[in-house]
This record gives sequence, structure tokens and C-alpha cells, in this order.
Amino acid sequence: MKTLFFLLGSLILATTVTAQNPDRLEDEGAAKGPAEAIRGGARAAVSEAIIKSSSLLKVNVTYQSFSPHIPWQKESPGARRGLGVVLKGNEILVTAQMVADSTYIELEQPESGQKLTAKVKAVDYEANVAVLVAENPERAKAFFAEVKPMELDTGVRIGDGLSVWQIGPAGDLIVTPLRVSKVQTAEYFVEGSVFLVYEGNGIVRTEGNSFTLPVVKGGKLAGLLLRYDSKNQVTTVLPAPIIDHFLKDTADGKYEGFPNLGVEFQLTLDDQFRDYLKMKEGDAGMYVSQVMKGMTGEKLGLKEGDIITSVNGFDIDSRGNYRDPQYGTLSVSHVVRGRAFVGDALKVKVMREGKEMTLEGQLARKNPAEMIVSPYRFDRGPNYLLAGGLLFQELSKSYLEGFGRDRQSGPILRLARLAKSPEAFEEKGCKKIIFLSAVLPTPSAQGYERMGGQIVEEVNGVVITDLTTLDAALKKPIAGVHTIRLGEFPHLIHIDAVAMERDNMAIITGGYRVGSLKRIE
Amino acid sequence: MKFALVSASTFLAVSLLLEVKAQPIDLNSSAWDGVVNIDASMQVPDYREPWNGGRPTGGSGTGFLIGKNRFLTNAHVVSNATKLVIRSSNDPEPHPARIVHIAHDCDLALLEAVDGKHFDHLKPVEMGGIPKLNTEVIAVGYPIGGDRISVTRGVVSRIDFRQYSHSGVDSHLSIQVDAAINPGNSGGPVIQDGKVVGVAFQGYSGNVAQNVGYMIPVPVIQRFLKDVEDGKYDHYVDLAISDFPIENPAQRKALGLKEDGIGVMVGSAEPAGSGGKVLEIGDVIVAMDGSAVFNNGLIKLDDELVNMNEVVERKFAGDSIDIEFLRGGKMMKETVKLARFDPYVRLGNLYDERPRYLVFAGLVFQPLERNLMDAHNIQDPLVNYLFDNFLGDKLYVDKPEPVILTQVLPDEVNTFLTPYAHGVVEEINGQKITRLADVKAALAKENDDKRFVVIKLMEVNRPLVLRRDLAEEAHPRIMKTYNIPQDAFLGE
Repeated sequence: MKTLFFLLGSLILATTVTAQNPDRLEDEGAAKGPAEAIRGGARAAVSEAIIKSSSLLKVNVTYQSFSPHIPWQKESPGARRGLGVVLKGNEILVTAQMVADSTYIELEQPESGQKLTAKVKAVDYEANVAVLVAENPERAKAFFAEVKPMELDTGVRIGDGLSVWQIGPAGDLIVTPLRVSKVQTAEYFVEGSVFLVYEGNGIVRTEGNSFTLPVVKGGKLAGLLLRYDSKNQVTTVLPAPIIDHFLKDTADGKYEGFPNLGVEFQLTLDDQFRDYLKMKEGDAGMYVSQVMKGMTGEKLGLKEGDIITSVNGFDIDSRGNYRDPQYGTLSVSHVVRGRAFVGDALKVKVMREGKEMTLEGQLARKNPAEMIVSPYRFDRGPNYLLAGGLLFQELSKSYLEGFGRDRQSGPILRLARLAKSPEAFEEKGCKKIIFLSAVLPTPSAQGYERMGGQIVEEVNGVVITDLTTLDAALKKPIAGVHTIRLGEFPHLIHIDAVAMERDNMAIITGGYRVGSLKRIE
Repeated sequence: MKFALVSASTFLAVSLLLEVKAQPIDLNSSAWDGVVNIDASMQVPDYREPWNGGRPTGGSGTGFLIGKNRFLTNAHVVSNATKLVIRSSNDPEPHPARIVHIAHDCDLALLEAVDGKHFDHLKPVEMGGIPKLNTEVIAVGYPIGGDRISVTRGVVSRIDFRQYSHSGVDSHLSIQVDAAINPGNSGGPVIQDGKVVGVAFQGYSGNVAQNVGYMIPVPVIQRFLKDVEDGKYDHYVDLAISDFPIENPAQRKALGLKEDGIGVMVGSAEPAGSGGKVLEIGDVIVAMDGSAVFNNGLIKLDDELVNMNEVVERKFAGDSIDIEFLRGGKMMKETVKLARFDPYVRLGNLYDERPRYLVFAGLVFQPLERNLMDAHNIQDPLVNYLFDNFLGDKLYVDKPEPVILTQVLPDEVNTFLTPYAHGVVEEINGQKITRLADVKAALAKENDDKRFVVIKLMEVNRPLVLRRDLAEEAHPRIMKTYNIPQDAFLGE
């Protein structure tokens, strides 16, 4: 049965490639569901040549990201085109990647070209999913009149046949078959965000709207295309279970996100290392090498050097995997992250100093905004504070990424290292790491024009722990002078308070045309 | 501070700048016999396989006679030399030579012929002074492949502090000329009015600048010659502080300065440097050896404004300098005894040194040096950070000589450790590793559980563990397989 499905997919693809006659469009019944078309058998597909789906909409997104280095400015706008899947309640599912930094979103009927303005209802950049709704519910009624919502299929297993759907220029459906050869965890779109994926081999023909293509099984949504590696012909699918998790979480109107454990693990395959850890022949488990502050693992009582042998009843092997009933061998991260919700019970068995212990607690989540070095930031500009031309920013991954290859030297390398291990700043009570990122030449900053990259430690005697403390400290000059102490050369600078205020006015109205002196959100 | 980015390249070649206003040079006259060709055979050390002898290579440059059997040339002409031969212009006979003194920090070397008699009749070249801007000079030398002397001429275009690319970290006075100075000119005299005013030493490669060459001026040459008078070269000394210009009115006011343009702020002071023993961040240096220091770090010497480092440049190891400075509005005066600042040496290119290393059960340990960074093409961000911020973040205080696990030569005993190559060694068997020599003792030390050797790397949260019995058994096997004749070289 699965093989037949696979073959059908191929046939449909072969016929649509040749069927470019726009006249045929009018002959097609718009209401015909894709599931029907596929199940209709090879003969139907070949004779009608064009298949349609009433659950797909074209999604056109205009986006504009903020400049990480000139934080009051936005970069040039760009466009992304993709396909959205209509879910119940006329909510449109797309990847988060598709709507990151969006300024304008419109939905488009593939066939009629009718358009409707939409907005993001909920988004999770880690899980890379977002749902869109119509901006104006009144206009939406007519727009969605002929549209049929699609259901999720979370039951996909290794070996199942799926198909990637695309819409051709004339509104015709292009179907590419795909067989799931592997289920594992892999990084999504934000660095360090690892979740469940399906992987399959096969060529995916791209139709220009390569963002957010639906992946379908038997007329139900099995996932969204996450990426396609054309060199190795590997297709990676963001699977329905993750989408389902996101939708369930959004249902109550309060989105909590996926829990995070905050623990670094190491494999225990090395015989000599196992011997050192007093693990016996056949003992399994993974070695806890780091426990991050304020996250689930620490709250649970995990310690460096523990060997985790079981999580929520699943035995953990030496590679950090468990046996999943649906997918087979899979990373334990799926147990504590992909399939779990914030507040779920967590029960971990560890070997500590040769003794078995059971730790119990609840899964929690630390949000990126609470992290000292923000791992990602979309839709909002970077926080900053301009004072007399001195530009202060929060150290963040997006700031560092803006340098690309230049990270490999000097102050950026130092900042990158601080971003990687900011524990010392956390211990000092810093909420963010504030640094002087650049200087706009002004009279009050004379002599400081070439500075940049120094950590701000103290301003007017006040220890700086975030932009708010900096903002407050800069309101209290001592004897008309601001004294700024920095972590690096030249360590100490002074600025005249009155001259700084004068320059602040000039920065807004003068040549720099900076709209606002700060963004602290 | 003595380090900065370099784009200049040194030339293994010699050139002489001859003065033009005079009559044409008569190369048959004995006046130029003292300009000789130096042929060097070299062995470039191998920092990748440090137990190997290195790669043989060769080069040719210029030198000139400055006294009885004493030839001056560039250090880079004779660095890593295994054999040196001198040839003079009118005599094809090769004369074996050897290095008497070599100064890599100012790219100068002094050679002698093994049998000096042959050169006894030659007239040494006389030293002049610093030429004026826009006066003509000639460069004399033996650019690549030539047996006959070559002469190019140009004018003095700039006199400034500049990085010497031979070490890559030292800056001294240097003179820019627009005479063609080509590979092979290196070490040759630049002449004005019949006297040497410099040694041609570097130019620009690629498309950075055209028709620009540099020479080492007489003050630097004379300092070198004076330093070696006692029979050994003691290197330049350094205050090891960084100055920050005081241009901002609020800064001036806050630091208690008058509006006379005097005083430069100490922006950083190396705790291990000579200046750091006396000066603190925020101090304002107002005078050195009685001469006022201006707010941009310049000082008046011999009626010329020069970089304040020039005062230190002219001193020798063990000399002192008087510094007047303001601290918290109070005027202070201290005498600073000057010394070489060692931590920055490893940031520069090293020559004439056998690479140091230690191999244990296939794990290769080497000290962090520029030569190592280049040889291993290390991309690891932590190692790059350590190297780039070695001084800036005072990393040398805890780790004067960071030790890198540069390679893991695969064997069944260490197969799980291969991903940890390029890690920075923090601790072995509970002992902190601050320099390569520590590794040997630490490996021999017994851990709490004496069956194991436990190695901790910086920012790697798991220990690297080897069973001692297995490691010791594997060690000779690995040495044999990978053709390593000696398991360590820790220095002379």
C-alpha cells in the first residue's frame, strides 16, 4: 500500500511538469480536495493532469530586519514567498522563519489570486512554527469560503511515504514523493534549537516559493519542509508532533513554549572514561558535564559528574538515546523538550558516586529574554542606549553574528567568548552584559571616536547590570561630569554632562537623524 | 605597545641607495667592495611535526662591512641559517661566514667571515645620521639572482615609527624611501653623501602601496651595535603600558590637568611589565626624563616631536627612566628600571629556535606561539581568543605559556580523545599547567585514583582520561609508528 502511494506521487509529478496550459485551469473544480485526488488512483491523476488543493494558500511576506550594529535603523526590506496550510478556525500554519521580522503579510488564493492581509497570531522561533490569522475578520469570511482546513497526522513512522506539495504558477499542485528514512533530532532555524525531524531522500523541485512547503500523508499534514540539501538530496521535515505541541500550547491564548533542561551531556562510550567513572560492563547512561544556572536541570538537583540512566521511565544508553515506541532509537532531548510541556513531571535516575538516586521535579523553561546573552531576537530591534554619541548595547548572539568572519580576531573574538561563557557576569549579578559598541563622533565624545568593544563596568559609581541601570546612572553625573569605567583599554573615560545633553539633541535632529536615543524593552 | 597589524613584507634581498647629486658611482673603485652578497642555507623548523628537523631552504641578501671582519645585514637574511657564505662583487670566491650577534626584534645581524683575512684590505662603510625629508639616497645591493651590484635611487619620503615585520610585534623608527627596494636588497646599505643612513629591510607586497621601501635608520643600528658591545644582545626594553590620548575636555578636567596640552593617560599597564610596577590606569604621564609628554603621546627630543616610546627605545636593559605623573590630582615622580617584556615575545615570529613539544601516548603538547598558530592553522575560537587577547586580558598572568594539545596521533588507547585536539590544557592529574615544562612533572604525578592520567582542558566540561598502564604500554608503540625519535624537547 505504501509503495503504491509512492508511485502515484511520481506519476502526478511527471504529468504536471508538462501540463502548463493555462486554459485547463478553468476546467478544474476548485473544491476538489487533494486527498481525494491522490486516492483517486493513477488514471484520474493522469487524465485530469492538474490537481489542486483547497487547503493551501500562497503566503507573501515582506520583512525588514533591524541592523544589529546601527540598532535604530532597519535594513532594506526583502520578500519571502511560501505556502501556508489552512488549519481549523482559518488559521494558517507556516514556519516561523517565514515570518521573522515581518512588516507585511498577505495570503493569496493560488488560483484566483485574491489577496487578504494577515498577521501573526502566535510564533515560536525555536520550534520554527507560526500561525497566521486574517487582519480583518469581516473580509476573511468570503476569502475562506471555499477553503477546507487540513488535519494533522502525528503518526508518521520510519518507512512511511509522504509527499511535498507545491503550487505551480497556474495554481496547479505539484507533488513530490518522499520516504521517511530516518527520524532523529536536529537543529532547526535558531542556533542550538534541536527538535525532532523526519529525514527522507529524493529530489525536491523548487518552484520559487521555497519557504514553508507542506508535507502530506494521505491528505493530512505530516509536517512542513524544514530544509532541503540539494547536494545530498536530503529533505528534512519539521514534523507534525512538534506542530501539534505548538498548537496545543497556543490554544489557551497563553503561549509558554517548549521546556528546556539546561544540561550539557557527554557520551560514555570511551572504555577508559567508563572505567574512571566506575561504570561497569554493560552500564549505560550519559555523563552530565555542565548544569546551567536557573534552568530545569539545576532545579531538579542534577550535578556535574552525574550519570543519567533513565528519564521519565525511559532507559538512556551511552549515546544519550532512548527507545521511542513510535520512532525507535532517539535522543533523550525529545522526552524533555519535544514531547513535553512546561510544568510536566520529570523523574530522572542518576548514578552519583556509585549510588543510584532518583530526582523528581517539574520541567521549566527559561525564556531567551531572561538569558544574559540573548540567543536570538526577531520582530523587535536590539536594545541600545545612545549618550553623547556613545552607543551602548547588550551583548547578544545576533550582534556577534552580524560580524561574520571578522569574529575571528581582536575584540569581537573576546566578546564572542564572553557570550559563550558569561557565568562570571551572572555571578556578579548582571542581567545583561553591556558594552560600548561604537561612538558617533560628537563634540562631547571628542577623543573617543575610535573606541568600541569595551565592557561597561561602572558609571558614576554605579555598577552596570543592564541598560536600565546604565540609563539611570547617566542621569546622575558627579560635579557635572560622567565617569565611565570600562573592562578594557582605556578603562576610564569622562564626558561633560551638559555637553552630552546638547549632543543628544543634535543626534536626534542633526546629521545622524537617530529617531530615538534608546530602546530598552 | 609594540604589536599591531602588519602588511609589510621583508625582503630576502639587498639594496643600496646611492646619492645622486654626486658623480656616477665607479663600481671599480674599491669604495663599494664592502657591500657583499650573503648566501644563506636555512632549515625552517617544523611546528607541525616538531620532532622533525625541518624544511631546508635558502635565500640570498646583502650585507656590508662596518669594521674589521664585521658585516651588518638584516636578521631575516640569516635567520634559521645552517650555512652562510659571503661573496664580494669583484671576487667570485665564496667565503664561509657565521653569525656573531642577531637581533630579531630590530631585524639586524652582525656576521663575520670564518677567515677574515680576505676582507682585511676592504674599506668599511661609514655611518651617517638621519637624512632630511626629500633628500636623495641610493640603495645598493644584490637583488635576486644577480652577481653584480645593483643601485637604485629615490628620496626620503617619511620618517616614522613602524612595525618591523620580521618579528611582527616590534615597532621602531623607520625611514620610508621611494627607491625601488626588491627582494634580495635586504640588508644592504642606503647611502647619502657617501655615508650609510640606513639598512634596506622591507617593502609592501601586493597592491597596498607602490614604490615604497623602508630602511632601518642609524639610531636603531647604533643602538644594536652598542647593545652587543658587551658580547651579548639584550633586546629592547619596554615600559609595557598603553597610553590613551587626552583630547576630551571633561577627561582633562577630571584628571586634573591644565589646558597646556601636556599629559597622556595610562590606558593599560601590564602588571608584569616595568611600567606596571609604578603606573596605574588613570595616571597621567606628564614628563619622561625631564621632557614634557604631550596629550597625544608625543615628546620633544632633539627639537623634534616623536613618539614617547622613543625615549625608551634609546635605553638598554637595566637602564632607568624618570617618570613624572599625576595621580588623583597629585604630582608624583618615580624612577622605573627598564626590562624586556617577555609575554609579547611569543606573539611574534620566532627564529633560530628548535620547537618544543612533549608526546605522551600519542597526545602532542606544544606551547602557544605564533609559529604554532601558523603551522597548525588553528581555527578553534578559544585558542584564537587566548592568542589575540593574551596581553589585553592579561592572560599571561595565569598562563605565561599556554599549552595546547595540538594533535592526537590515533591509536586504540586514545581513539576517543581525537576530537579534543586544539584544546588548551588547564590541569593534568590535579596540577595546574602554566607552561610546557609543567606537563612532564604533572603526567608523572599520581592522581587520586592512581590508575588514571586525568587531563582537564579549558572550557571542556569532561576530563580526558587515560588508563596509565594502557597509555604507558601504547607510548613506545605510537612513537615507533609515527616515527618520533624523541618523546620531548623542552628547551636547551
